[in-house]
Amino acid sequence: MELRKVKFEVLRFRPEQDDEPVFQTYEIECMEDWVVLDALNAIKDDVDPTLSHRWSCRMGVCGSCGMLVNGRPVLTCAAFVRNYSGTIRVEPLSNFPIVRDLVVELDSFVAKIKSVKPWIIRKIEKDVAEGEYRQSPEQLDEFKQFSMCINCALCYAACPVLANEPDFVGPAAIALAHRYNLDSRDEGNAERFEVLDSHDGVYACSYANECSQVCPKHVDPGGAIQQAKLNDFLQWAHLLPKRSFT
Amino acid sequence: MSAHAPAAPKTRTAPPRPPSGFPLGFYRYRNYVLFAATSVFMALGCFALLEAVYALSRGEAAWNAWLAAMAKPHFLVLSTVILLFTLYFAFRFGWVGRKIGAGRIGPVPRPPLPMLVLGVAPLGGFVTLWLILLAVLAGVLR
Repeated sequence: MELRKVKFEVLRFRPEQDDEPVFQTYEIECMEDWVVLDALNAIKDDVDPTLSHRWSCRMGVCGSCGMLVNGRPVLTCAAFVRNYSGTIRVEPLSNFPIVRDLVVELDSFVAKIKSVKPWIIRKIEKDVAEGEYRQSPEQLDEFKQFSMCINCALCYAACPVLANEPDFVGPAAIALAHRYNLDSRDEGNAERFEVLDSHDGVYACSYANECSQVCPKHVDPGGAIQQAKLNDFLQWAHLLPKRSFT
Repeated sequence: MSAHAPAAPKTRTAPPRPPSGFPLGFYRYRNYVLFAATSVFMALGCFALLEAVYALSRGEAAWNAWLAAMAKPHFLVLSTVILLFTLYFAFRFGWVGRKIGAGRIGPVPRPPLPMLVLGVAPLGGFVTLWLILLAVLAGVLR
């Protein structure tokens, strides 16, 4: 297979020695079918073992390897080197503090996801012996798209609102909240209303829609937020019931 | 580890970096900034409208004075800018409404009727109400 020499500019931050992040250039030979993640692994294995980056499944499922490639948030396991020309610039996800090199701190992201209670809330749990909660294909269709999120945080890296307002709940968390609010088995939209209707909730979004553009799973969190705004308004106006039993 | 063990000191982190091209280097971020800026110009427009209503309440002389003031070139330029920003706001609002109306935005094509009705009808009503209000105001202030 053909090899091609490619130059990579990688943002490095080693807290023990760097005051601020700096770019470091690597030039390596890449195979035709390599993705950017393969190149980063090759750099770490053969050139510079101190380079730090996250990855796991290598097939766009785990959402660990999100980074900026030439300024755009992508899963590096799905970004083919052959699709880029010239020097490829790799940076950690924007809008997140950098722990080391390409590794960002996701504490705030996880906290925001948790804040919208992304699980099914029931007044009374059915006994296991009574069987599963039944749902029709139409009821599943209502939320299925929004359940495809892999929590890769690319939408947070693309969001201009988060650049201005770091406390904004953010696209993935709101899409997830909306997913559970649309679920026929769920009875907890009043709990989520508190978060979605807050100052940092749905109305902070003015729909730049870049989150939906970068989403690798076509969840369309931007669309989910706009629908969540409508739901929120209808709940606020008591036109939609608030289901709260907890 | 014991539940009462002291937490490990946190590693020093570098501050978050803004998205590439933020705020004006990328068209979607420019649109975001422009949309935010509409609030300033629409507030100016509202202020001018309130002033007009106030002048109208004070009689014909005050109204004519207000009209003369608004006919000055710099106010005409400002009015044009306000109009452009208001139109941009209306366009963006309609664009978002389209998103709300389409219950299925991704690969699943079927738009569920409740979302369509709940999404498009109020927004259509909102825009229609604004158009009626503008027409009435245009008639009154003509």
